[in-house]
Amino acid sequence: MTLDQVFKGNSISEVLELLNQYKEDAKIIAGGTDIIIGLRNGKITPKVLIDISKIDELRQIQVEENKIIIGSATTYTQIVENELFDTNLYGFKKACRLVGSPQIRNKGTIGGNIANASPAADSIPPLIALGAELNISSLRGNRKLLLEDYFNEKEDNRLRADELLMSIEFEIPKKNQVLGFSKLGLRKALAISRVTLSSLIGIDDDVNIENIRVASGSIGKYPMREREVEEALIGKRFNSEILKIAASSLQSSMDKRLVGRSTYPYKRRAVVTLFEEVYKDNLSYFNEVTL
Amino acid sequence: MFIQLVINGINYKVDIDPNMRLIDLLRDKLGLVGTKEGCGEGECGACTVIMDGESVNSCMVMAFQADGSNITTIEGLEENGELHPIQKAYMEEGSVQCGFCIPGMIMSTKALLDKHPNPNREEIREGISGNLCRCTGYNKAINAAERAIEILKEGAKNEA
Amino acid sequence: MKLNTVGKNIIRVDSYSKVTGKALYPQDIYLENMLYAKTLRSESPHAYIEVDTTEAEKVDGVVKIFTHKDVPYNHHGVVLHDHNVFCDKKVRSIGDPIAFIVGESEEACIRSMKAIKVNYAEIPGVFDPVEAMKEDSPKVHDDKSNIIYHYKLRKGNVEEAFKNCAVIVENTYSTHMQEHAFLQPEAGLSYVDEDGTIVVVVATQYPHYDREIIARALNLKDEQVRIINTNIGGAFGAREDITMQIHLALASKTLNRPVKVIYNREESFLAHSKRHPMIMKYKTGADKDGYLMAMEAEIIGDSGAYCSWAINVLRKAGVHSTGPYVIPNVKVDSYAVYTNNPFTGAMRGFGATQVPNAAEQQMDILAEKLGISPIEIRRRNIFRVGSKTATGQVLLEGVPLDRCLETIAEKYEEFLELKEFGNLKAEEESI
Repeated sequence: MTLDQVFKGNSISEVLELLNQYKEDAKIIAGGTDIIIGLRNGKITPKVLIDISKIDELRQIQVEENKIIIGSATTYTQIVENELFDTNLYGFKKACRLVGSPQIRNKGTIGGNIANASPAADSIPPLIALGAELNISSLRGNRKLLLEDYFNEKEDNRLRADELLMSIEFEIPKKNQVLGFSKLGLRKALAISRVTLSSLIGIDDDVNIENIRVASGSIGKYPMREREVEEALIGKRFNSEILKIAASSLQSSMDKRLVGRSTYPYKRRAVVTLFEEVYKDNLSYFNEVTL
Repeated sequence: MFIQLVINGINYKVDIDPNMRLIDLLRDKLGLVGTKEGCGEGECGACTVIMDGESVNSCMVMAFQADGSNITTIEGLEENGELHPIQKAYMEEGSVQCGFCIPGMIMSTKALLDKHPNPNREEIREGISGNLCRCTGYNKAINAAERAIEILKEGAKNEA
Repeated sequence: MKLNTVGKNIIRVDSYSKVTGKALYPQDIYLENMLYAKTLRSESPHAYIEVDTTEAEKVDGVVKIFTHKDVPYNHHGVVLHDHNVFCDKKVRSIGDPIAFIVGESEEACIRSMKAIKVNYAEIPGVFDPVEAMKEDSPKVHDDKSNIIYHYKLRKGNVEEAFKNCAVIVENTYSTHMQEHAFLQPEAGLSYVDEDGTIVVVVATQYPHYDREIIARALNLKDEQVRIINTNIGGAFGAREDITMQIHLALASKTLNRPVKVIYNREESFLAHSKRHPMIMKYKTGADKDGYLMAMEAEIIGDSGAYCSWAINVLRKAGVHSTGPYVIPNVKVDSYAVYTNNPFTGAMRGFGATQVPNAAEQQMDILAEKLGISPIEIRRRNIFRVGSKTATGQVLLEGVPLDRCLETIAEKYEEFLELKEFGNLKAEEESI
């Protein structure tokens, strides 16, 4: 490790000052579950580490009007234990519950998952499906960014050296909307996901799909919206008929992206079952709730 | 730099290197070698300790981050020379072979039972899912957790 | 007879120390005035090397860098002495030790290790044991054949017997390399006792062999070396070969200070053996009633760059290749072969684990072809008291395989019923 100095951040303003002072030499640490591995194997070599894990404003889940705002240093355990994610946001809870292990969930943070931008970050696809936005601050000012644009490599949207990811926010889904999630890992615990899929589906009184957002993880260079599937499903009646349509349009998107990769034939088959699981989760919500 | 923390009920003020992890502080600096390092990347759970009420991999926490925290390690479980019920149960149920995973496994079990005193088998399984064992497998660890729950209940009854 | 222990649960003597965290493994021991060490390992699977430690020796905190030049007898191995303590001219697989850097701290050793210049002149390697068996393949050990060992088992006349078989099944099976992944990564320390004895503290499966091997490499008498075995954090066969023992003894003897080394998980993977991958070509024949008539097998085990226990493992694979079945005509050839892959050695089962993958699948396929159940074909062929194995051993007692099979048979029937029920349910749903 190459650290000369470490700071325990006490407030957001202090952290922003430090980031402004040390810029590229500094790294933020919250849960540490990714960064310490990087520090140990020499993949990253910062001189300064700034801990944000004890700043209360960054580790809380708030409801403001029709929005949920999650501080960037909120741990997976905090999310899993929060009742806000018990009903139609269960897909998000499920994704967070499948992260790592109890120890990892006790430390790992939602902001870390985003800032490290792993293509296999489990919590990202449900947030993309929710249309989540990031709140980013620096001494230069604040900016808001759609989470799905954060990962787009063509646009240079990633965090700058002096910026801090403050929070993630999204609109609370309506009663006729539900978020689903499924993950394929090699085993139950401590498995880096091979494929993840999440969808936010809203249905109208006639049980037709009124609005839909689908997002995937690990079947592209980064977590992304699956617009081809969304277009194929909008307006369709919400029943098992949509499984075939979803499967073929997901596969056709993958065909364009993944051909030639060794994992492609496997993932191509896997998405069919994954979407089915998402569908079943959604179905059981719609069956339970009286719209 | 100096940090202050409570480990197993004892107040420490220690001089640490910025590059030190919590596990390095515990083992190299304070001689608490019951906490084991099996992988150094949060996969095996052998280094599990309880930090402010939650189980963490001590290889995944920087020492400076532990400033002001309250930590329990395997060395802190015995009370007045009396084994903790989880420790007793591990011995009785034959859940121990090579022993290298055991301190971490016991700390995960404790963190689970502190939060949820009455978990079912599936919940116990989930609670120790961050701990790898290569000798015994997990059934005996789960049996031990169930036995510990019994001992704890008997203890509570006797107190009441 | 009254039994005090048999049939009763007893508490392991070591469990108290293990549940309290008091049990010590080598990494838990710290000595006064102790030095630390790191091992430089090959990054190439097959290359001639030139090592320059000039710059590395100047790194602050480094005490000494050991290489092959420092070792009186630079060879070791549990059966053949084909490992180098440190590679001299050539590396034969990724992970081969090249140098041992000893310093005042682990960080100093790491900095120094990075400053060692190794020039690798790559030479063609061989990674497929079948290729390695050919005359013109690259040779792993000088001009020696890559075939370390050939085990032959002959019983009866397979050629004649196959002519009379009602059904013959021919298939090739392969198994993969496997890592033991014991939970305690290798660690050890060494110091010189007041009476001059070199003490090596390790977690090992073979303290007596370690002692002999260290003494031979350092040109010492056995009694000048003592091994202290600590608690062992799992082994499963992977602590049978020497890893750091000679390095440590050499360092403490030369420097007259305690020296400690701890491998991290990645280095642990590089340092010890793996399970032999095997390629198993099987031909098995039975008569119309499902009685086995003949079996012919060729088993090729990838030993990687070093022999370790390959001879014993491939012999055992050959001996067990029939499975627990009576076969009157048997022809088996098993081979242990050098390649430039990571070396393989002992791992739970020791060669007897791989062959059932082939032997048992052959049985299932034969049963299917004959239209009898997989249980029934086994019932007709299993070893019982009085059976004679392919190697000629007559089994006189303790062959409870029939009981095992009948227990399985009950569960198997239940399973079939469930499966049928499951299919029905699935059909209903699809309607």
